[in-house]
Amino acid sequence: MRIAPTFNVAYRALRRNKMRSVLTALGIIIGVGAVIAMVGIGNGAKAQVEAQIASLGQNVILIFSGSTTSSGIRTGWGGAGTLKIEDAEAIRREVPGVIGVSEEVVSTTQVAAGNQNWFTRIFGESADYFDIRQWPLSDGAPFTPQDVRSANKVCVIGRTTATQIYGNENPIGQILRIKNVPFTILGVLTPKGLSPQGVDQDDIVVMPYTSAMKRVSGGTTLRNINVQIGDPGQIAAAQQQIISLLRQRHNIRPGRDDDFTVRTQEEIAEAATATSRVMTVLLGAIAGVSLVVGGIGIMNIMLVSVTERTREIGVRMAVGARGNDILTQFLIEAVTLSSVGGLIGIVCGIGASALLSTYAHWPTLISIGSIAIAFLFSAAVGIFFGFYPARKAAALDPIEALRYE
Amino acid sequence: MKNGSLVKLIDVHKTYRTGEMEVPAVRGVSLEIKRGEFLALMGASGSGKSTLMNILGCLDRPTSGSYFLDNADVSGLDRDQLADIRNRKIGFVFQSFNLLPRTSARENAELPLVYSTQRLSHAQLRERADRVLASVGLAGREDHPPSQLSGGQQQRVAIARALINDPEVLLADEPTGNLDSRTSVEIMAIFQQLNERGITIIMVTHEQDIAAYAQRNVVMRDGVVVDDRVVPQRSDAATQLEQPLPSTL
Ligand SMILES: Nc1ncnc2c1ncn2[C@@H]1O[C@H](COP(=O)(O)OP(=O)(O)O)[C@@H](O)[C@H]1O
Ligand SMILES: [Mg+2]
Repeated sequence: MRIAPTFNVAYRALRRNKMRSVLTALGIIIGVGAVIAMVGIGNGAKAQVEAQIASLGQNVILIFSGSTTSSGIRTGWGGAGTLKIEDAEAIRREVPGVIGVSEEVVSTTQVAAGNQNWFTRIFGESADYFDIRQWPLSDGAPFTPQDVRSANKVCVIGRTTATQIYGNENPIGQILRIKNVPFTILGVLTPKGLSPQGVDQDDIVVMPYTSAMKRVSGGTTLRNINVQIGDPGQIAAAQQQIISLLRQRHNIRPGRDDDFTVRTQEEIAEAATATSRVMTVLLGAIAGVSLVVGGIGIMNIMLVSVTERTREIGVRMAVGARGNDILTQFLIEAVTLSSVGGLIGIVCGIGASALLSTYAHWPTLISIGSIAIAFLFSAAVGIFFGFYPARKAAALDPIEALRYE
Repeated sequence: MKNGSLVKLIDVHKTYRTGEMEVPAVRGVSLEIKRGEFLALMGASGSGKSTLMNILGCLDRPTSGSYFLDNADVSGLDRDQLADIRNRKIGFVFQSFNLLPRTSARENAELPLVYSTQRLSHAQLRERADRVLASVGLAGREDHPPSQLSGGQQQRVAIARALINDPEVLLADEPTGNLDSRTSVEIMAIFQQLNERGITIIMVTHEQDIAAYAQRNVVMRDGVVVDDRVVPQRSDAATQLEQPLPSTL
């Protein structure tokens, strides 16, 4: 059989019933649109996770004070001050594979220089912090372990803080007043941009945690401890050792909940993608249902079309069309319907993704692969649901078909 | 059988089975039709003409008996093989024209070539369709859909469609049944002209004066052939068209 005229026949049959074709394709349009948006959100979330993992540093374990599974009161991460400086030192000393530990305290406060004020976050850290988070300085030098031991009044600042307070001036060597304590700026961090949650990571002051505890926040406990492991294979073992070490140090009897939480980088990243995964599942369900409903719509319309065109089928058979020729013709028609719907759906899905990222700030990522898969999927729906009507057409008896009124 | 016979039916039966009922529509027809004949199949309604035509046209298979077309036994062929035979050897003209709606005369005429094993280019296809349409007097109407053509013109398109693949035999079941008498004569003129060019024509009709355009009349009754005769005084459609029509037509 000649294929080109067959496409032509399919095209004209669909165009003749424009409204009907559009309504029939609607299910496919919605389904494919949802698939595209779903994959876009899924990929965006994955990229977000990767960025998140990277922004945490490399091979990092985080220890927060407070328990997330406490049976009584849910204190939350960093809630109760249970982590001591000595805990961090014990980890540094006793857990094998640890190559860096940073005691972390965080507060938010006003900083000032000259007549400029700025509200920013103060991170107290050890000198290992810059290695753990893989966050080098773009200018100047980091503070040293000696600065930490002596609780020196030194700090490094992020690019945003630097610009807000000093404009185009070089901040290095300048004095920054934090709670009226003068700190000397040693360096400026390389810009990191927005975090996946939309927080400006460059709006920050990092100083020795000893200085932060003594001169800024005034507390005696740590919010969390950042630990870096040298060999990724040792992370799981180190996590277990940290848990038993801390339980022992905190005198937690067997059977009682931890008063701290230990999370690896992957665990944190997974928690962060939970919402987008829910959205993905939801869209996946919409996509699945729409594609099935769309497919059934196509089947229905094709059955109507086969009935309407019974005589045409009879004529085609009389002049020599084989059953397979008729089958192919109606399959092509069904596939044309579903894949044109698929193409429109792809455009809609890309549009929906763009809207989601513009207005809902969802990170979305459309890949050529997902477009190709969505298109093939819509064509497959056409084949699957077009097959029954097409076979029915092909099985018609030419004499009966010619006589059909 | 290498004696120039194009169609040979040997004791052909066709029995329809509707539930418990058996309807014998054709009950033992033996018939030989030579290449180049123009035959009219006649008989009352329900006598089995259409059933026999369906068998002759390879649209249906006999319940028993043999059918040789062009010296090949086609009575045992399957659906696909019959479709190929129809495509290569048979052209159909129907009472109700059976053109594809909203499709140009040219594309209607081309239809058999869509299913042909011949590989023709788009231009060759078009050229051939236009030539056949011109031969039935439709030059200039190639782009018209059936809705813009008169009944006689539609039947000419159907004839062009039947001829485009150079068939061995043209089968026409009541080709003038839906046409007025003047147009019927025009169609008969085309048939006689084609027949003079050597095309074998088998035509069903229950009208005596239409049958008179054929060379041979075969009459059926209750599924059997009851008469088979040469037409003694053949009508000539072309000369009739030149004269004012007699009132009997
Ligand atoms: N598909 C069918 N099923 C059952 N009976 C049929 C069928 N087609 C034709 N018949 C019967 O076979 C007989 C011959 O019909 P047909 O060949 O159409 O006659 P004609 O064309 O001479 O009017 C009639 O009695 C008719 O009712
Ligand atoms: Mg009949």
